[in-house]
Amino acid sequence: MALDRKIAYIDLATGEIEVKPIPLDVRRKFLGGRGLDAYLLLNHSKKGCDPLGPDNPLIVSGGILTATCASATARTHVMAKSPLTGLLGSCNMGGFFAPEMAWAGFHHLVIKGKAEKPSYIYIHNGEIQIRDAKDIWGKTTTDAQWAIRDELNDQEVKSLVIGPAGENLVVFANVMTGIKNAGGRTGMGAVMGSKNLKAIACRGTMDIKIAHPVEALEYNKHFIDQITSAKVNKTQGTLGTPFIWGATNSWGGVRTRNFQYNQCEYADDIEPEAIDEICEDTMGPYHMSGCFGCQVHCRAQYRIPSGPLKGKYDEGPEYTSQGAFGGETDTPRAETVLVGNHLVNQYGMDNLETGSLISWAMELYEKGILTSKDTDGLDLKFGNDEAVLEMIERICFRKGKVADALANGGIPASKTFGKNSFDYLIQVKGMSNLHSDERATPGLALNIATSSRGSDHLRSRPAIDLYHLPEKVLKKIYSSPIPYDGPLSSEHTEYIGKAWQVFWQENCYMGVDCLGICKYHTTFLGATLPNFEDWPKVLYYNTGLEFTPEELWDIAERCNMVERLFNLREGLTRDDLEKGDMINHRYFDEPTRRGAPDVVGTTIDREKFSKMIDEFYEHKGLDQKGKPTTKTLKRLGLANEPSHML
Amino acid sequence: MAVDTNKLSSAESLSKTRTYGKFRCHNPTCMGRLEPKPGDKHVKCPVCTCEFRVAWIRPDFPRIRGPVWEVNKKLADAAFKKKMEGK
Ligand code: SF4
Ligand SMILES: [Zn+2]
Repeated sequence: MALDRKIAYIDLATGEIEVKPIPLDVRRKFLGGRGLDAYLLLNHSKKGCDPLGPDNPLIVSGGILTATCASATARTHVMAKSPLTGLLGSCNMGGFFAPEMAWAGFHHLVIKGKAEKPSYIYIHNGEIQIRDAKDIWGKTTTDAQWAIRDELNDQEVKSLVIGPAGENLVVFANVMTGIKNAGGRTGMGAVMGSKNLKAIACRGTMDIKIAHPVEALEYNKHFIDQITSAKVNKTQGTLGTPFIWGATNSWGGVRTRNFQYNQCEYADDIEPEAIDEICEDTMGPYHMSGCFGCQVHCRAQYRIPSGPLKGKYDEGPEYTSQGAFGGETDTPRAETVLVGNHLVNQYGMDNLETGSLISWAMELYEKGILTSKDTDGLDLKFGNDEAVLEMIERICFRKGKVADALANGGIPASKTFGKNSFDYLIQVKGMSNLHSDERATPGLALNIATSSRGSDHLRSRPAIDLYHLPEKVLKKIYSSPIPYDGPLSSEHTEYIGKAWQVFWQENCYMGVDCLGICKYHTTFLGATLPNFEDWPKVLYYNTGLEFTPEELWDIAERCNMVERLFNLREGLTRDDLEKGDMINHRYFDEPTRRGAPDVVGTTIDREKFSKMIDEFYEHKGLDQKGKPTTKTLKRLGLANEPSHML
Repeated sequence: MAVDTNKLSSAESLSKTRTYGKFRCHNPTCMGRLEPKPGDKHVKCPVCTCEFRVAWIRPDFPRIRGPVWEVNKKLADAAFKKKMEGK
């Protein structure tokens, strides 16, 4: 049964391991995956704990549906206090790890303490060992995975690993599995590094009993059809996620030259079709691959087509690498994007944070706040492809003053660089934006301002807002499962109704993260993809648990509130630029210069933005300072947290 | 179980209204619906005059590949100038 998968508490300092079942009442409150992880983090961490200290618990999970007959239950989630933000750390990746962990008997791991020497955890059919990692430490992410397989003499082992960036405590180091599946935000790789934990390896052959197998398979056929027939997923399956960057760049929604422009002009060389051609030339016509149990196959495979690394194999690039190493740094050349993508994958470093910080440093260099003396002679100007690639390397290995400062994250680096460097840093809560520019999209600006893990597009972004859907379609989506009769607008330049959309999406994404399903299989990029009304069937057929859509909504809302409780405990405020639900002044003061005629000349209206925050807080049941009211906590069953149910 | 298995969910019923051959203009408030002819490489929005390069996911499914840079840049520069004059 999916529900008999267990939770293991592993103390790396003492070697103690405790295994417990996950009670049904906990499942009914938090389901699993990210939601239950948030509960565990709130309950197992102390206020103010050092993110890189032994007391910061590292929590790893699959969702409640992981490795069942449901489609695309591939996602692995990792949570801890973030060394990048000092607030909630959370990352989520595709691949094959979480299903293997479920087959090995576990849905959640809570890892505490610090190992005396480099170690890795090996989980095999209910057994957990802490093993010596001295021969693996120092290896890149892929080499480390292959070395673990060789050592265990089992080529089916799936591992979560860190690369050199995690070992070097780069505060935005990734956790990786496979070639390119990156748990790539908030520095969970650095937390692993701080624990001397190189990897978690899993191998499992324990059956997962499906509650109603015939119906589960039958329904899944229908579910798959709904998912694969969506226009967005047909596009994903052909071009991968680069189509997102291409489409957004077309109207002027991507950051270029840090935040000076909102469109990368003449970026034809890194348009999705151009990248797809390289994938086809180097890997043949069947170059798209997929994660566990997924039929969309959005992941391209490629070899670097030219230059010193010609012939090196990698996967992607995701739209995030196009933005990070093409658009933001104004280096829209395919080779730079593909090599940059390869380096961050191998080093285990967040492409978004890396590209954003390099482009910020480039703007500081342009403004004279940083000079070639600071960069040891490196000409850190926009458009310099070699400088981008050199900086990736320098940051990973903390070489030189500028790169070492950047490896500590944007806010600490701004304190090292001084002057008014902080003014140019595009971040929320200490985490850099995706490569997107939200000046023409107030709903998306609200999303990044209020997202629980800092500036982020995967926690509450109403991405379908960009499709200009008719109001009656928006009504249909956003009035269920909870009635909503407020206004909604088809225009993404509007402020009307956006707070509700962000609130709805926040709950939708939490729902899918608790289930363990990929976000491309819900209302993220496509309006016709499954959500609350569809999930009860999948849950029932696979686990036997009955929920109404409204109950699933309540769970998602509860889990989001737990994340907020953690952040409030660690210092979240409403307006603070370092730890608040606030965006950089440039959104309000500098009009967009490029893009579609209706996009140019746009800024976010400060007053309307503040009103959207008010509305958003009201929907969530928060007071004007962003704290939950007693009534809200009671309604969500969170009046007595931490409650230590697990 | 608690859910009516015969009732279409909102997402399922919206799937029934999908059209593959058209897309919306990328100019946000324009809302023009563009329908290139099979194989077309360019399309011009009759409403706001923006021009786009077209790529085809399959023969009946076009998408905007990107702007026709020279055309849309001119429109953008003119719009920017006008908006800044009004400020
Ligand atoms: S849609 Fe893409 S990222 Fe999501 S599960 Fe499928 S292959 Fe993986
Ligand atoms: Zn138009």
